[in-house]
Amino acid sequence: MSRTTLMLRLVRAEFYKLRTTSTWWIFTLATLVSTTVMLIVDCVNANSLLKPFDQYVALEAHGHGGRPIPAEFLAHMRSEWELGHSAVTQATTIYTAGQLIGVLLACLLGIVLITSEFHQQTATTTFLLTPHRDRVVAGKLGTAVGMAFLSWLLSTIISVTTGAIFLHHLGYGTQLGNAGVLRAIALNLAAYAIWAVFGIGFGALIRSQLGATVSATVLYLIGATAAASVFELIYTYLIPKSWILAAQVVVPAVASTVMISPTKTFDQSPPQWVGAAILIGYGILAGVIGTQILRRRDIA
Amino acid sequence: MDDGRIVVSALTKHYRGVTAVDDLSFTVEPGRVTGFLGPNGAGKTTTLRMLLNLVMPTAGTATIGGRRYLDLPEPDRVVGAVLEASSAHKGRTGRNHLRACCLTTGLPLTRADEVLDLVGLGPAADRKVKGYSLGMKQRLGIAAAMLGDPQVLILDEPANGLDPEGIRWMRQLLQGLATNGRTVLVSSHLLSEMQALADDVVIVAAGRLVRQGAVADVLASMGGDHRVRVSTPETEKLTAALAGAGATVTADGPGSLVISGVTAAAVGDTALAAGVPLHHLSAESPDLEDVFLDLTHAKAAIR
Ligand SMILES: Nc1ncnc2c1ncn2[C@@H]1O[C@H](COP(=O)(O)OP(=O)(O)O)[C@@H](O)[C@H]1O
Ligand SMILES: [Mg+2]
Repeated sequence: MSRTTLMLRLVRAEFYKLRTTSTWWIFTLATLVSTTVMLIVDCVNANSLLKPFDQYVALEAHGHGGRPIPAEFLAHMRSEWELGHSAVTQATTIYTAGQLIGVLLACLLGIVLITSEFHQQTATTTFLLTPHRDRVVAGKLGTAVGMAFLSWLLSTIISVTTGAIFLHHLGYGTQLGNAGVLRAIALNLAAYAIWAVFGIGFGALIRSQLGATVSATVLYLIGATAAASVFELIYTYLIPKSWILAAQVVVPAVASTVMISPTKTFDQSPPQWVGAAILIGYGILAGVIGTQILRRRDIA
Repeated sequence: MDDGRIVVSALTKHYRGVTAVDDLSFTVEPGRVTGFLGPNGAGKTTTLRMLLNLVMPTAGTATIGGRRYLDLPEPDRVVGAVLEASSAHKGRTGRNHLRACCLTTGLPLTRADEVLDLVGLGPAADRKVKGYSLGMKQRLGIAAAMLGDPQVLILDEPANGLDPEGIRWMRQLLQGLATNGRTVLVSSHLLSEMQALADDVVIVAAGRLVRQGAVADVLASMGGDHRVRVSTPETEKLTAALAGAGATVTADGPGSLVISGVTAAAVGDTALAAGVPLHHLSAESPDLEDVFLDLTHAKAAIR
């Protein structure tokens, strides 16, 4: 039997295993809810950013109660407005609304696919049926990427239909003819897939389900902010060279942001492909090391 | 069909500070039920898991039909194993668990329904595994092991959690499979269970081989006294007569004697010749469980 047939069989079985437990519903529900919430947030933001500056200020400063706005705050608002006052930018943001939580979910699903074998004590059955453990990992990798694709698809369908109607209604057209917008939607898929791969590697590396999911979530949510401060400190006190700031792209969360945003995420941010390469690199590294560890692990 | 012989040679497993299996070698023949016997902590589970590529040996090899488990192209068609009561996801139904196994190994899904009937789990097939009793999980485990209609069956303490009816069912199933020429290896810590089930035994203690052979031979070699118990109103007269026949006689309550060193028939003949009436005569088998414990205790049972 060919390797491809074998892989397809394993992926099919993994999908079946997912569908026959609550993980499937939890994952779908989390995708739906997070996409909807982020879509609402992005549409509200777009609504005000796309207005002329004075109306934007009026909308955003609504809570300020008529008091005069401090000058530096006004300057900050202007730079925000200038960055966001573009139909293309807003279309990109809205059409990829599910991404912020979606890629984290894809990563967590990858982790759960591997660690649940130990957490749910099904590893004995799994490795009895497929004693070549690298094949088990490969099957789960295919499944995680497949699930990431489905999650991206679901999220994109919701975002694009709602967002297109919304933008059209505001009078900006759907922007779906714009190459930059379409590329952002496609790169978004890449982000889902790469984070799923990263999740598989991470799950194979860290045996505990709780440990792996919590550390991945923390790494993702505060990784970028923490990295920015750490690299800023290094730049200020140790090595005052600008490549130091660019180097924060080595942090997975930063790499992810760099990869998916068509505009610069910070002043020294390297091109998108650098972020993608770094994230894929981590995924492969974690996967290879994790698989090697898994191959020698005693299932007792 | 593969010959299905299991060969364990010089298998060793060190855990931090413990030698769970220590230079263990034995063979298991097809067409017979082989009991893998030893007290708790003897290394039975570790050995079976090394045989199935789940635990990595420190040294030595184990093969099934001449191949390592890892090298079997379709292991589920050659070997079925029940290691812990089923190892199924608690949130999945029994039927879905078996179907997932079928999909993994490329068997038709109908095979799941067939093995459910085989183990009598049909009525509970669509309930979640978390609601199963230990006995039902054992049956589910056996069902999963039978999916690929394997030549070799390996079971780790399968009687745990089964009621007497379930134990009898399993005994008949396993003996039937062995009669069909399959290899059946069953571990247990109870000698009595193996006396009723196995053709051969492999006895281990402290990770080492103690005895291996046909049950009857091993039991005979384990020794233990055959004893005869009698009741008679004339204990002194009988004691004297038996002493003349070379028997060892001990009093066991009023009017009752326990005799060793001669057969039950010899005791009856001696009593008749001496004109002593016997109200009761019975031959007692040696308490092999005691002998087994003595044999394995010397090797430090639980480490
Ligand atoms: N994963 C493990 N880590 C450390 N020690 C272990 C492990 N598994 C088993 N042992 C030890 O190895 C010995 C043999 O255990 P086991 O094979 O389970 O025996 P049995 O199945 O005969 O009761 C015991 O002393 C046990 O404590
Ligand atoms: Mg055991």
